Amino acid sequence: MKNEMLAMILAGGQGSRLKKLTQNIAKPAVPFGGRYRIIDFTLSNCVNSGVRNIGVITQYQPLVLNNHIGNGASWGLDRLDSGVTILQPYSSKEGSKWFEGTAHAIYQNIDYIDSINPEYLLVLSGDHIYKMDYEDMLRVHKEKNAALTVAVIDVPWDEASRFGIMNTDENNRIIEFEEKPTEPKSNHASMGIYIFNWSRLREVLINGFTKNVPMVDFGKNVIPAYIQSGDNVFAYNFSGYWKDVGTIDSLWEANMEFIDDKGGLNIRDKSWRIYSKNPIAPPQFITQTATVNDSMVVDGCFVAGKVEHSILAANVQVKEGSTIKDSVIMPGASIGKNVKISRAIIGENAVIGANAEIDGTKEIAVVGNSEVIGVKTDED
Amino acid sequence: MKTNKLLNNKMCAIIGNEHEYNGLLPLTSNRPLSTLYFDCKYRIMDFALSSVVNANIKNVFMIMNEGRIKSIFDHLGGGREWGLDSIGSYQYTSFYQDILRRKAEGKTYFDDVIDYLQKSKATYTVFISNKILANVDLRAVLKIHQNQKNAITAVFKRVKREDIANDDQILELSENGAITDTKKFNDLSDKDDIYNLAMGFFIANTDWLINALYVGQNAGASTSIEEFLISELTKAKASAYEYTGYMSNIYNIKNYYKANMNMLDPEKFNSLLFSSQKVITRTKNEVATYFSATSEICLSQFATGCIIRGKIDHSLISRRSLVETGAIVKDSIIMGSANIGENAIIKYAILDKNVRVDPGVKIEGTTDKPVVIEKNKHITADVFGG
Repeated sequence: MKNEMLAMILAGGQGSRLKKLTQNIAKPAVPFGGRYRIIDFTLSNCVNSGVRNIGVITQYQPLVLNNHIGNGASWGLDRLDSGVTILQPYSSKEGSKWFEGTAHAIYQNIDYIDSINPEYLLVLSGDHIYKMDYEDMLRVHKEKNAALTVAVIDVPWDEASRFGIMNTDENNRIIEFEEKPTEPKSNHASMGIYIFNWSRLREVLINGFTKNVPMVDFGKNVIPAYIQSGDNVFAYNFSGYWKDVGTIDSLWEANMEFIDDKGGLNIRDKSWRIYSKNPIAPPQFITQTATVNDSMVVDGCFVAGKVEHSILAANVQVKEGSTIKDSVIMPGASIGKNVKISRAIIGENAVIGANAEIDGTKEIAVVGNSEVIGVKTDED
Repeated sequence: MKTNKLLNNKMCAIIGNEHEYNGLLPLTSNRPLSTLYFDCKYRIMDFALSSVVNANIKNVFMIMNEGRIKSIFDHLGGGREWGLDSIGSYQYTSFYQDILRRKAEGKTYFDDVIDYLQKSKATYTVFISNKILANVDLRAVLKIHQNQKNAITAVFKRVKREDIANDDQILELSENGAITDTKKFNDLSDKDDIYNLAMGFFIANTDWLINALYVGQNAGASTSIEEFLISELTKAKASAYEYTGYMSNIYNIKNYYKANMNMLDPEKFNSLLFSSQKVITRTKNEVATYFSATSEICLSQFATGCIIRGKIDHSLISRRSLVETGAIVKDSIIMGSANIGENAIIKYAILDKNVRVDPGVKIEGTTDKPVVIEKNKHITADVFGG
């Protein structure tokens, strides 16, 4: 049986710009919005778009990510005609298959893709917060008879030089690609979302690697090669909320925008739900000493302090006398008494001892996963 | 010497569902007691089922009441959360009314149960009546049952008179803890302050139980397995196990309300929901609960998916509820998907699922008589009293 479109999620990046937060987990597994991990958005978009065959390419610190995805049951991907497969680098007769870039990671998994035998290959990043209908993108891809369609979003002109910019003609055909141009000619930034005709991409990758013209990266190598060889490359314009959460600042910002939905992600829209692996925890307990305003709180939390414009993920404890402002507290973190936290991201299972002060006024403060700050007393 | 050591500790479970109380109407007009909401996100049956799966029992037989199964299966689904969908797990269901019908027709009526017990190949059988809220460690009960070398062990708790329903069973114990007599609470002539309430949790040797059921159905025994087991406590070699954890006996609106409100006492909340035994319930994909800049919260609990813009004081708010600006919810239980309009006031009330309250409307009851608003109701005018 031929499967129409297979999604490959690139989830192997180290995410070194997230510093302490990705010390022991892959970037797509970093918690987001109190209830999610970053990859949930991409996985849910796939399921909501009717894409039910998904390969997740992992490499760096995959334990938490693998555990989170499991057999895909949380996204309804455990059915007989669908599936999510974790693809980890491995050694074979041809040597080690460690991934050197985005396109190289696809090349190393040709065997897996061939086993699904898709007509189209959807390539996705696992570290973006957005809601997008890939089925509509496929419709446009077919309509234009494209060999490759690249999803683009218009970014503010003054930020365009930070992105891969697609210069298009009046038919929305991409005629030039510039990676981080100093003087951008357009503001159509690549979202790192591609639809390829698989047979053509397969040929391009194998050709490249066998003839020593390595096709390591999509941006650097593959897209320019497509344009040069005259393949039909089209842009697909996306205009909703989209956030690359690859840095501490952008991760913090995206969380802050998530609280009151200023960004317009519309997370409560039931027609496009974001699914996640849901832990089982008792309801959240807010005591008589607590005040909670303009904040999001999740099951299993115990709040006795003051929480303002912040997100508390599952099983977070905030003791009496503590104040949390403009911050993200990740699952299982424990905040002792009389602690002050402002503009910070507190990692999973971190422990903040009594009277500690974490101030991110100058630069967003980060406490790593399981990191212990201050002295933990018995009472905490 | 035992020939089959591997099966030595294997247990199977029968979960009953026979109790129905008029005192819980209208909350139970369209659902059995076992699927009543509890503490924002649980159903009563979660406690029985969690006790069962926490004891690594994978083989479950459920006796249900005819016409009362929709909410049970809606909640249970494929049993994934409880691990009842994995290899080696079996769920069977049977209707209590079939047992009644067969008895009326003069047929043997425990056939389904006996058949299940024989196929289970379990050495021990757990029975749970599915109306008591408790976090019972069945493996601990099994240890005592094994040590006593008796046929059956009943779990009880010392309970105040006002927490006992008329159809509850009371154990009379000798000084050394042996069961000397059993009585329906209603049949007791004079009432003390404290009683040994049989909690409807039993562990029996399966071989003995199969035989007792055979003999019982030929002698016209009660169709209620719970009553049947109680009657056996004074005939067979039996012992009693005292449960010391948190327990609520739910049979009318007042004690349903109290059982829920008890969860706002951190000690009771921890004892029931943060013990070594995890209470499992159905998981749902919900967004975190959002508290707006205008919200005021005091001593309350929330499930996920809510939007809170009003004032919540000493209350329990279930999934996906919306409380608008200026609204006050005090000493109340709000079940899922409520929509409470601006400046509405709700005090001492229980709002069943999916209730809509118009702006400015007042709903007020009393501690002893909380107002109950039925499922799916749209409240447009004030409601007072209980």
